[in-house]
Amino acid sequence: MEEGHNSDGKENALCGRSLTAASRDGGGRMSAVPLAQRKVEGGKVYSGDGVLGYLEMLEAQAHELGLKQEEKEQQEKKLDRLKARVQELRARRDELQAKVELQEKRLLDKEALVTDPARPSAQTVLEWKVKSIKGMLQVFYLTGISGKLTKQGVCFCISTAYEGTYLDSYYVDLLINPEVKIQRHSVPVFIPLEQIAKKYLQSDIRRFMSVLSDHLNAYVGRRHQADQLEEHFSDRIEGTLQRNSLCNLLVFNYTVSSDSKTFPFNVRLLYGNLCCSLPTEAILSCTPGTLPLLAKMAAAHSNTFRQMALHKAFDSIINAKESQD
Amino acid sequence: MDEVIVEYIRRTVLKIPRDEIMAVLQKWGFLSEAQLQTINFRQTKESISHSVAQLCEESSANIKQAALLDIIYNHIYPNKRAWSVYRMNKTGEETDFFDFRDFKKKFRRQIQSALINVTINFREYEDNAIWIRIAWGTPYTKPNQYKTSYVVYHSQTPYVFISASTLRSNLPLLCQAMVVASNYHDIREMELRSHCLNSLKDIVFKRYSQNFQTNYPLQERNVLTENVDLRINDENSSEKERIHRLNQECFGDGPQPKLDFAQYKLETMFKSDPKWDVLEKKEPFRCLVKFSSPHLLESLKSLAPAGLADAPLSPLLTCIPQKARNYFKIREKKSLHPGNFVSP
Repeated sequence: MEEGHNSDGKENALCGRSLTAASRDGGGRMSAVPLAQRKVEGGKVYSGDGVLGYLEMLEAQAHELGLKQEEKEQQEKKLDRLKARVQELRARRDELQAKVELQEKRLLDKEALVTDPARPSAQTVLEWKVKSIKGMLQVFYLTGISGKLTKQGVCFCISTAYEGTYLDSYYVDLLINPEVKIQRHSVPVFIPLEQIAKKYLQSDIRRFMSVLSDHLNAYVGRRHQADQLEEHFSDRIEGTLQRNSLCNLLVFNYTVSSDSKTFPFNVRLLYGNLCCSLPTEAILSCTPGTLPLLAKMAAAHSNTFRQMALHKAFDSIINAKESQD
Repeated sequence: MDEVIVEYIRRTVLKIPRDEIMAVLQKWGFLSEAQLQTINFRQTKESISHSVAQLCEESSANIKQAALLDIIYNHIYPNKRAWSVYRMNKTGEETDFFDFRDFKKKFRRQIQSALINVTINFREYEDNAIWIRIAWGTPYTKPNQYKTSYVVYHSQTPYVFISASTLRSNLPLLCQAMVVASNYHDIREMELRSHCLNSLKDIVFKRYSQNFQTNYPLQERNVLTENVDLRINDENSSEKERIHRLNQECFGDGPQPKLDFAQYKLETMFKSDPKWDVLEKKEPFRCLVKFSSPHLLESLKSLAPAGLADAPLSPLLTCIPQKARNYFKIREKKSLHPGNFVSP
């Protein structure tokens, strides 16, 4: 019996670890099983009964339990890994699904445009209504004076134009209570807004708007004429066109030819009426001594300037001169 | 006299950033293209300025040319000076035909009747802005070209922009000359100062974008269409929109005029618990609050969206462009609104 034990020494050495392991944690787990059964378990043949044989058996059991525990741990690890992988794959699936939905939505939007023309949907009717209202608002805007009710009053928009060209828009924001007052505005500072407001704002808003609109339209018209003159005829003007902010005084020089001699003319255009875009006075002067010769021409030019828009007047003067020569 | 002028021109050129010297000299137009070609603009500024001075001496530059160069320099770089705004009043209703030649004559005459030793130069620009440069002397000394005041005036407007820099004692004379030359009655300093001249103009000429409500042109509500990730929800979107809307109403859409600071002088009573009797003096509690910024109005506009202040902001802050002032005096609430006003 002793020899058998010795030959199993190696096994025992191997089981030594599991025996201690088993004794550490599995102390309570080992149930009392009859000696005879344990002899045949695990296909192992034990040397026989006796305490040593019993211990051998316990050792072997502990060893097995240890192995099983390891296996279990490994399986748990594997399970965790697989779970993580499942999460990963689920997230990817969500992502792709969202993408698909976006694509579908976009496609649907595109399709919505192609509807059955025979039966106008509520949407197209609404769109048509909106379009026609926008058109109306544009028409109001193009008339020159339009407005919008605000919380505290009304905001007027004066859109100016000169001979078919639409130019700047100016705004006047009015408060209604307790009395009519200008809250803020975008009217240029050289337009006499305070004067006009003092005269008409309290008594007659319509008149106020009309007078202000006249001032603004006339200013914009004068400015437009001066700009056109500079743009198209800068080569026929000696030096630069002298103006001021209101464009109600314009001074420039040009040359006049008569009998194949050139004479310089200086013209001062005064716009006395701020609501008018034509000059009230057109003063032509030339070098002293030449006036008797050119008096007729000067008078004619003065008339032209007073009756026609500046750039057109200048155009006709130049062309008349050229046709004379 | 020549050396003084040439040195003055040289020092003016030194102030210009090197890459822009050529453009400024071309605008000046005193040196011909051929002369400008002889200058090597890759040297140091010191050397360039000496080359320019040399050429000017050869071409006999006079004081008028030198003054013109100074005006051009200040017109291109107006933000180097501090500007104040003055407002003129007149009672008559006659139409004013502003004649530039008349104006120059009257202005010069008015100043020189009191002080003969001045250099006055005018230059008119495309936007009807008249730039006046005045170099001051004393009754006993010649004008000092380095002690200059600048006046910018748009014809037929009541506003004058003055950068006095030194010698504020000459300011009354300057103001008087402006009033007489432009056919007004009196002049008063406004509570509006900044380094950015164009912004001051924007404020008083009402050229900044005020948010006017109109039916047409239609005001599209600019919905922020960025790459909207459908999985992200903004919990605060309604609050964000409210702040955005209030900000739009106060400040408008466009860029704000550039101001350096806003100053509030408080002369209010200290309100405290009646127990603290010692602090309840009858005198107002004096305090000065100053907001400074490289761009004050833009920073005020971004306070609410950044979460640093509640929207709507205090009207004391948002009324700055509307009231055209950045100096305020706040007294006790006797009437509905504090402070003394400049009627716009």
